[in-house]
Amino acid sequence: METHVVPGARFVDPKILARIRNLELLARTVVEGFINGLHRAPYFGASIDFAEHRGYVPGDDIRRVDWRLYARTDKYFVKQYEADTNANFVVLFDISKSMSFASQGLSKLEYGSYVAACLAYLSHRQRDRVGIVTFDQDVVNYVPPSAKHFNVLLHTLDRARAERPGRILGPLSTIAEHFKRRSLVALISDLYENPDDVLDALKPYRFHGNDLVVFHVLDPAEITFPYNDASRFEDLESGEEIPVIPSSFADEYRKMIAAHIEALTTKCSEARIDYVQLDTSKPLDEALFKYLGTRERMMKVR
Amino acid sequence: MSFLAPLFFAGLAAIAVPILVHLIQRERKEVIHFPSLMFLRKIPYQSVERRRIHNWLLLLLRAAAMILLIAAFSRPFLTSSTVTAAVPATGARDVVILLDRSASMGYADHWARAQAEALKVVRSLSGEDKGTLVLFGHGPEERVRATSDRAQLEVAINETTVSSDYTRYAPALRFAQTKLSQSRLPRKEVVLISDFQKSGWERQEDIRLPEGATLAPISVADPETSDLSVSSVALARASFTGEERVTLTVGLSNRSSQTMKNVPVKLELDGREIGAKTTTVEPNASASVTFPAFTAADANMRVIVRAGTDKWAANNAYYVAISPSRPVSILAIQRDGGTTTPCGPDCPSYYLSTALSLSKAPPFKIDVQSASRVSAGAFGGRAAVVLYDPPSLSTEVDAALQRFVREGGGLFIVLGDRTPWTTGESPILPGKIGAIVDRPVGHDATLGFLDYSHPIFEQFKDPRQGNFANVRFFRYRTITPGPEDRVLAKYDDGAVAMVERRVGSGRVIAFTSMLDEGAGWNDFYKRSMFPPLAVLAGQYLAQYEEPTAWYTVGRMLEVSVPLSALVRAGTATDPTAAARKPSGVISSPAGQQLTIGEGGAPSVELAEQGFYSIRMQGTGDRRPFQVAVNLEPSESDLSALQPAEFVKSVTGRGAVTPSGQSLERPDLTPEDIEKKQSIWWFLLLGGVLAIVSEAALSNRLSERFARGLLQMKSR
Repeated sequence: METHVVPGARFVDPKILARIRNLELLARTVVEGFINGLHRAPYFGASIDFAEHRGYVPGDDIRRVDWRLYARTDKYFVKQYEADTNANFVVLFDISKSMSFASQGLSKLEYGSYVAACLAYLSHRQRDRVGIVTFDQDVVNYVPPSAKHFNVLLHTLDRARAERPGRILGPLSTIAEHFKRRSLVALISDLYENPDDVLDALKPYRFHGNDLVVFHVLDPAEITFPYNDASRFEDLESGEEIPVIPSSFADEYRKMIAAHIEALTTKCSEARIDYVQLDTSKPLDEALFKYLGTRERMMKVR
Repeated sequence: MSFLAPLFFAGLAAIAVPILVHLIQRERKEVIHFPSLMFLRKIPYQSVERRRIHNWLLLLLRAAAMILLIAAFSRPFLTSSTVTAAVPATGARDVVILLDRSASMGYADHWARAQAEALKVVRSLSGEDKGTLVLFGHGPEERVRATSDRAQLEVAINETTVSSDYTRYAPALRFAQTKLSQSRLPRKEVVLISDFQKSGWERQEDIRLPEGATLAPISVADPETSDLSVSSVALARASFTGEERVTLTVGLSNRSSQTMKNVPVKLELDGREIGAKTTTVEPNASASVTFPAFTAADANMRVIVRAGTDKWAANNAYYVAISPSRPVSILAIQRDGGTTTPCGPDCPSYYLSTALSLSKAPPFKIDVQSASRVSAGAFGGRAAVVLYDPPSLSTEVDAALQRFVREGGGLFIVLGDRTPWTTGESPILPGKIGAIVDRPVGHDATLGFLDYSHPIFEQFKDPRQGNFANVRFFRYRTITPGPEDRVLAKYDDGAVAMVERRVGSGRVIAFTSMLDEGAGWNDFYKRSMFPPLAVLAGQYLAQYEEPTAWYTVGRMLEVSVPLSALVRAGTATDPTAAARKPSGVISSPAGQQLTIGEGGAPSVELAEQGFYSIRMQGTGDRRPFQVAVNLEPSESDLSALQPAEFVKSVTGRGAVTPSGQSLERPDLTPEDIEKKQSIWWFLLLGGVLAIVSEAALSNRLSERFARGLLQMKSR
């Protein structure tokens, strides 16, 4: 019997979600169920909460001087508050052909859509601005972050079709130029690229002060390689075919995919990028946790 | 290991199929779409991989299934290489020659061949070797003890003839077993020369030859036999104008696969042919022939039935001894008074006489005489005498009566008011007569003890046969039995009611209460048990036995048989004959004479087919008693066992010839052996099991993909 990390997340089973056609409803179902299971409220940065005092330095706005404290201490102190401004949340969604792979009903594209929708819904509930970039070998759609773009985002996700081969470096480098404001960027992809290329594509975002979370979406068959019979394998993106004898290839393949994941984990960690590997057969709660952790860290702005 | 259909092994080439299937991993026709070949492309593709055998277990199961099925279809069977590893190859031999001389060995040249084979075995003895000659029919007879003297053995073999005996192998083999277990020679052998009749062997016989001993069978049986035998004779008796006429029906058996036509069947009476018929007997079937009735005028007539002529003459003849069946003659002596001829209700012995006269088998002829009129010669021709409360007998009559009893006559004494012996004692009276006891009114006596082991009371052992407890006795005579006398019944007060004494060859029974209405001593004569008890007592005293028209070989004959025949015929006491003892001389069909009875053997074995004549002492010129002896019916069944099979069932090992050659199922075809062993069935079962296992395993392997996913999901 399946068990979930979060008790309330029992509705987050990807197979059940696949029956919900409406992405908003889906996202609401997931997020509300997820939140109900948490022991603490996920909402922070209620805008005008007092944080601390600090000494007045020339240039500070004198309106922020705490005059009551000055009356007691005869010193100038300035009040500091938690940030009350909304953050940007942007999803970089890989819709290359390889994302259409599904070994057991739910494709990586669908799973990625659910993740993106849920994260966007959560952000939207927190009055963050949400946006999305879908890309394969080029940028397919760009929805700039806005408080009003949640529905557009969902629509974009709904329309997304994995039809063309994909690349990370090109489209992501192109779109990075548009990120003027510090944002929380979530990359959802199967990352069939050299780990160095992936990092090269993401580094610009870091340079711009964005917080990055990489969601590496993989089908279980891509990890376990459960094939028996000698067959011809066709690359979904390039159409290339090669003969494969699973019994002799499987071990080697598993080692290589494990090394790939390990390399991505290491490099992301070095670049202070959060890396989350997602399995399309597992519930979405892991992705949501990771997002919330990053969001909280980001809100500590004064 | 041999095979009935070895060509099926060509099918072994089919094993290459699963091997090739395992070597050549054929690519699936449908292409598997995979997200990216980024990693797979980096793995070197080696064609040699395709030639590596995967799933060894599956391959082995498939190959095993094919091999087992092919082996099953090739129909294998085992031929054990025989012989006797434990038998020392060198050293002196102790050979026991079991030579069958039963009647069936008289068929064709069986006996001559058996003798020749036995001589061959004897001639093979050399040096320190010892030979024992044992002849056997239904029992063994050691003709020559273990000896190295070959000449002695050869003479014994040449002098031996076929007997009329029937075959039993077990006693002879046990005898050989005993002989060999006592032998100290290193090599022990039993050579069994016989026609191996099936009827002589029962499989459950437990024979254990000593360790290392071998049993070599030599069969002289013909594979195909043809024999006609007289298998049975049935007698039907009928009275006709005061004479007894006998109709004789003969049963014939044809034990061959051919019809026997116009078989002559002859009937001889005392050496004279009185009837001849012809008949046809179908193969492996029986037929019967009935001759016209003839008169059984004399006692002990010799009747011989002869049918056909074939390779075995012994069972073509059947011997029957016929005597006219006469009623058992009884003389009843009673006190004077009352009618005697016929004995009416006022006659004292009326109830007793009536009860005896009711019997049909045997019929009784009762003559009643008054005591005063009885003469010494009245006992002649009587089987038994009843003394019914008689007054004293004359000395002469008393002596004649005593002699009558001693010579085998029966005497029944009913004690009443009188006694023939004034002293109350007599050598023929079982005890001493005492006073009369009157039971008080209301305290009638009953029978408190009955000796149910005695032939008279044996039939009443079952309570359903009658109850003597209801019989009331009002008066009885006391009698004190002697130490040798046997008390048969007692009253409830312990007084003797019935007692027996054996006198010479005769029997005397005394009953202590009157058995008639006039006396009124009891109500026994009115009870339902009285008539059967009277008849049983009459049979016992007259020593009546169902006359046997013929015996089979091997039976024992006791002297009582001719004696009871004399008593039955009423010739026990012949006033003209000299005093005689219960003994006689028996002459076998071959002419050998032997004394039987007193002063000789108490019994004699009827070992020969034909007529035995027994002349009892004191019977004068009367025809001697005849005993007809025929072959044991099973001996006529010549169907033979397979010698090797027989030996295997005896020893549990393979059979060898005297020269050491294996006789392991020499006459069984490979088909027979294969059918009996049925190894193919087990191979087929194994093949099916292998196929089932293969199916289960391959199903599991093909489900690996799904299981892999499930495992991952649960992780």
